[in-house]
Amino acid sequence: MAQIPSLDNAPLNLSSLREQSQKELLNILKNIRGKKCLVIDPKLGGTLSLLIPTSLLKENGAELRHLSADPVQTECSKVIYLVFPQLNLMKFITSHIQNDVSKGVQREYFVYFVPRRTVVCEKIFEEEKVHQMLTLGEFPLYVVPLDEDVLSFELDLSLKECLVDGDTSSIWHVANAIHKLEFAFGVIPNVRAKGKASTKVADLLNSLQVEDPVNMGDMAIPEINTLILLDREVDMVTPMCFQLTYEGLLDEILQVNNGSVEVDASIMGGQQDGKKVKVPLNSSDKLYKEIRDLNFEVVVQVLREKATSIQQDYAEVKSTSQSVSELKDFVKKLNSLPEIARHVNLAQHLQSFTCKPSFHGRLDIEQTILELQNYEICFEYIEEMIHKQEPIVNVLRLLVLFSLTNSGLPRKNFDYLRREILHSYGFEHMPSLYNLEKAGLLKKQETKNNWLTITKALQLIVDQTGTSNPNDISYIFSGYAPLSIRLVQHAIRSGWRSIEEIIRLLPGPHLDLKRGVSNANSISETVPGAQSIIDRVADGRRSLVLVVFIGGVTFAEIAALRFLSAQEGIGYDFIVGTTKIVNGNTILDTLISTKN
Amino acid sequence: MSSVSVAAEWEQLHDRFYRKPELYSLQWGGARMDLARHRVACAPFGGPVAAIRDDSKIVQLFAESARRKLLIFSSSGHPLASAAWDRPGGRLVGMAWSDDLLLHCLVQDGSLYRYNIRAELVGPPVSLGKECFEQGVAECVFWGNGVVAITESNQIFCVPDFKNPRPCKLADPGIDEFPLCVAVIEPQYTMSGAVEVLLGVGDYVLAVEEDGVQQLGVGIGPLQRMAVSQNGKYLATFTHDGRLLVIPTDFSRIIFEYTCESALPPEQIAWCGLDSVLLYWDEMLLMVGPHGEPVCYYYDEPIKLIPECDGVRILSNSSMEFLQRVPDSTVSIFGIGSMSPAALLYDALDHFDKRSAKADENLRLIHSSLPEAIEACIDAAGHEFDISRQRTLLRAASYGRAFCSQFPRERFQEMCKVLRVLNAVRNHEIGTPLSIQQYKMLTAPVLIGRLINANQHLLALRISEYLKLNPEVVIMHWACEKITASPAIPDAVLLEQLLDKLKLCKGISYAAIAAHADNSGRRKLAAMLVDHELQPSKQVPLLLSIGEEDTALVKATESGDTDLVYLVLFHIWQTKPALDFFGTINARPLARDLFVTYARSYKHEFLKDFFLSTGRLQDVAFLLLKESWEFEKNPMASRGSPLHGPRIRLIEQAQKLFSETKEHNFEARAAEEQAKLLRLQHELEVSTKQAIFMDSSISDTIRTCIVLGNHRAAMKVKTEFKVSEKRWYWLKAFALATVRDWEGLEKFSKEKRPPGGYKPFVEACIEADEKAEALKYIPKLAEPRERSEAYARIGMAKEAADAASQDKDSELFGRLKQTLAQNTATSSIFDTLRDRLSFQGVY
Repeated sequence: MAQIPSLDNAPLNLSSLREQSQKELLNILKNIRGKKCLVIDPKLGGTLSLLIPTSLLKENGAELRHLSADPVQTECSKVIYLVFPQLNLMKFITSHIQNDVSKGVQREYFVYFVPRRTVVCEKIFEEEKVHQMLTLGEFPLYVVPLDEDVLSFELDLSLKECLVDGDTSSIWHVANAIHKLEFAFGVIPNVRAKGKASTKVADLLNSLQVEDPVNMGDMAIPEINTLILLDREVDMVTPMCFQLTYEGLLDEILQVNNGSVEVDASIMGGQQDGKKVKVPLNSSDKLYKEIRDLNFEVVVQVLREKATSIQQDYAEVKSTSQSVSELKDFVKKLNSLPEIARHVNLAQHLQSFTCKPSFHGRLDIEQTILELQNYEICFEYIEEMIHKQEPIVNVLRLLVLFSLTNSGLPRKNFDYLRREILHSYGFEHMPSLYNLEKAGLLKKQETKNNWLTITKALQLIVDQTGTSNPNDISYIFSGYAPLSIRLVQHAIRSGWRSIEEIIRLLPGPHLDLKRGVSNANSISETVPGAQSIIDRVADGRRSLVLVVFIGGVTFAEIAALRFLSAQEGIGYDFIVGTTKIVNGNTILDTLISTKN
Repeated sequence: MSSVSVAAEWEQLHDRFYRKPELYSLQWGGARMDLARHRVACAPFGGPVAAIRDDSKIVQLFAESARRKLLIFSSSGHPLASAAWDRPGGRLVGMAWSDDLLLHCLVQDGSLYRYNIRAELVGPPVSLGKECFEQGVAECVFWGNGVVAITESNQIFCVPDFKNPRPCKLADPGIDEFPLCVAVIEPQYTMSGAVEVLLGVGDYVLAVEEDGVQQLGVGIGPLQRMAVSQNGKYLATFTHDGRLLVIPTDFSRIIFEYTCESALPPEQIAWCGLDSVLLYWDEMLLMVGPHGEPVCYYYDEPIKLIPECDGVRILSNSSMEFLQRVPDSTVSIFGIGSMSPAALLYDALDHFDKRSAKADENLRLIHSSLPEAIEACIDAAGHEFDISRQRTLLRAASYGRAFCSQFPRERFQEMCKVLRVLNAVRNHEIGTPLSIQQYKMLTAPVLIGRLINANQHLLALRISEYLKLNPEVVIMHWACEKITASPAIPDAVLLEQLLDKLKLCKGISYAAIAAHADNSGRRKLAAMLVDHELQPSKQVPLLLSIGEEDTALVKATESGDTDLVYLVLFHIWQTKPALDFFGTINARPLARDLFVTYARSYKHEFLKDFFLSTGRLQDVAFLLLKESWEFEKNPMASRGSPLHGPRIRLIEQAQKLFSETKEHNFEARAAEEQAKLLRLQHELEVSTKQAIFMDSSISDTIRTCIVLGNHRAAMKVKTEFKVSEKRWYWLKAFALATVRDWEGLEKFSKEKRPPGGYKPFVEACIEADEKAEALKYIPKLAEPRERSEAYARIGMAKEAADAASQDKDSELFGRLKQTLAQNTATSSIFDTLRDRLSFQGVY
């Protein structure tokens, strides 16, 4: 199975989107004649693995290299850099060129920026005096389909840039990416946004429609009915919780990157030689599609049943004489064997983590923190983690959750825990703590705590009735319904108005827009009354809701959305757009300043 | 019948008919115009006429100034502009209109002056070079996009492309005598793609190119006149003995030959379409075709032949005529005695108008060929200059269409549209006598371009709208012209006038117009205009160029496009002194934050200045801390004593800065502690002679001391940094377990009752995989739950279950069973226990 997901079942024609990007990339290669060395920023390389097979790049005469501080080793006289416009990467490129110059090597250099060239990068080339030697270009890749219902803008630093640095480039990027989607699928008539970045994106979408309008006459009905924009900042609690769906656990424990995990070959039943294998994970794998969003406990059962049923069939085939058609059915079942084996292997590996008492201890404490019970126990648990010098990310993740639900820690505790962290992990973590403070993730108690009000009003804490046959999204976290998805539920059902009181308690402004009214002069207007935005499309088609998370989304939240759209009597499908797939660790990793 | 009178105006040349309708009678604005006394340049496609009094002739001055003037008229003789002709550089050698309607005037010294249609000089003159200047230009030949000049020394210079005027020298033809005649083949028609010059020399022709000279047609001449056909394939030439020869430009054969009555070379020679050649002597214009007797026209006044793609316009002092072959469709309708379906249809309309039944008879006759008849009428209408005749022909077509449903309606509508446009521009006031064929070749957008060039904006706008073309170019040009022409109108008033029109066109670039306003010295108006620009990516750069940095910053910030903010940022950074720059960006959070992001990686020192000047001491402190950590990465710098090294100094500076702010006491204390730690670690390294302490955390330092057995040092660190008892127990227990000092561990556990319980001891033993040791401490754990978990971890199921049952913790109980389920023996223990406790809902 390929890492590039099949998009045949997507509710939108995403394959055309992907083909367009492929074509643009290949054209860049074709327009530079002869043999060339394509140097890709490693992060971008991961993104491209979802877009185009490397063989196709090589067929177009490109040698592939990863961009690093080390000079490029190649015989080619033409070097093409394909990079995100990030400042540190420019340093690499200039040092490569200066290295070539000092050695008297003459080459042609091309730098292609994804998705566009920026003044600040060019400024660096100018200052380093290599500007004249470069041909600059753009590869306008704003969106990559991760799966048939997930789009990524590939902005993994978005959250940190917005919350800590005040760099809002990603907001502009997201608005442009959505506007590009609108060119393909029509102007989205309903927009609901919550959070500073989200409302800004909604504003930008309106101005983009003025600057560079999507012609609404060409499209009969816009394919996307509603756009819901949410800042990650609005709900930082959910990503700090440990994900319990199959896919979520895979991400928490093995790190899913660009739709695949890398594991020791031994885990997958291979040789124990320390080699790594890449396991693709997307909906092209039928079994994975079936189980990815289930609570892991259930996944184990499902896999066991599947395996047992095959075992039984096998026994029957051996013992009794069967008709040819029955045999055929059996053989068909056997075809799914590799898939079953793959997931049994992975699940077994995950289980070796989930059966540890420490894992359950952690889940217990998470639940306690979410329910705001017993402050002391939670505080001591975190204190003990620090004293035991457990990995700092794990400590900070719980600490952030603790600070968020308590809307900060009492001054004394705040300073004490910070001091204990610096003592245990070193003073170089001062900027990490400062960053967390700036991002509002770790702070001292100053305001009234609204967490209980919010959990009650939105029914975030639900008593578990059983994970095997859930009827509410709270199954995702075994008893906690993710706040972000509850907001989406309300946004769809009746708009923000019905939860006006609650939504004011969450950070950032909110906004409700109706766009693309036939009157061209008023492109947008605020809808006064609460009304269901899911106007059923007349021909009985399901309407489509694009939910965009600015700052990242977790697999668990995607699972919750998929669960919602699969519920009976709900006439809409979701497409998720996100700056990046995240989890608590990856979010904190961007905020923790390491020594390098 | 009317059709007879139409054909009566035609002349027949062998089997073809020619007509010469008068397009305009010329008034020249009430003044006299004598072509004989003027140098005249006429632009093709019905373009303007330029005239300068010819000073190579002796002329009598009437009531006019002795100073020469450049006069520009429309084709209808309407004066458009005039200007004094006082260019230095000697005699005017030649002038012509280029394709983009700039009048190019070449003077003797090789300077090429360019005028627009309003007789204004455009740009500085183009010089053909020093050599040309020294030799002096004797003659020149223009084509639509270039010029060739022959000097007195018989050298040839060329400007091959007016849009990019770079003169070049062609190959030396190597002749002593000045050529008898000259012609050029335009670059688009030559093999090489470069211009080819034909020189009539001796009895042959020299074809001169940039890199070579070729001798052609030896014995054909001597040639007195040459003219190249519109398509560059044929050459019409007049020999010294009075013959007209038509030959292909490769001189491979003679296509036809006609001997004239006079051997005197004609004053002008021109192609009329591709069918015939015109020769003009004083008072006589002879039209020669390949077959049959030539047609002769007489003029009692001087004329000027203006070749067009489908005929020749004839300019005289009093009129503008168009000599053209009568189109086939027109011949089929109006030809004398024509019985073609089209003629019958035209006739039928006549009968219909007279209410005669013959109309129906005619229609019956041509029923099967009605479509072609209609088509011919429409086509003929298109070729007519006379509006009433256009109308009659179209009515005939429309009458026929009533009986012919399958005829495409679009064809008819299309023609009406074209004729409306043509009639509008042919109007005497506008004076652009385009034929339909010329119009199609010129294309509507170019026509509109010419109209706006002549300041006919309203008509251009109407035509754009009528043809559904984007009016942006028209409105944009109008706005720019309006600004240029209105220096006296106050900014606000002019802005209103402009906006009133600009709003007609959605998506028009206000930035472009604002740029023009700025170039015209109206910076304030530019600022007002650019405010209306919708696209920030156009607006912001322009705001910068007109010095509106603050507005640019506001707009860039509003646009959300960080790239634009950077653009403004760098601009201000370069143009303002540092302190002003800091002040400007500090007031704008986005700009400030972006600057900080950029400077963080590239301008460290400058960033410090910024933070200091804006009072962000804590940020300076963090920068200092970062620097101190960078020393650690750099092995060169960390050599030698850190005490005297710069690291501690940086940290202490940071600490001082932190303590100067109110909110960063915590950081100040941390920095203080860090400096202290570094000193202490240094001492430890000196005393232990082991370089393993630096840059580890306080906890790690304690652990390392214990692992090394240096308990006194560990204690010292503990007291120095007031490490809590709780943490101390964890650290020491783990450190002792690391070195497997079980005795020491036990002793430690008995020193006093551990403040945080025995958990650290249990964990340390389990982690070191020492079950026996762990068992010493597990029973001492306070919570049954903790005990149960600990037992479970070392695989003692029964004890775990017992402990769990003490706690009556069903959840824990279930989990334990799951964990240990593989072992059937343990499983059965659970079953019995469950029965005993009768837990509900457990596996």
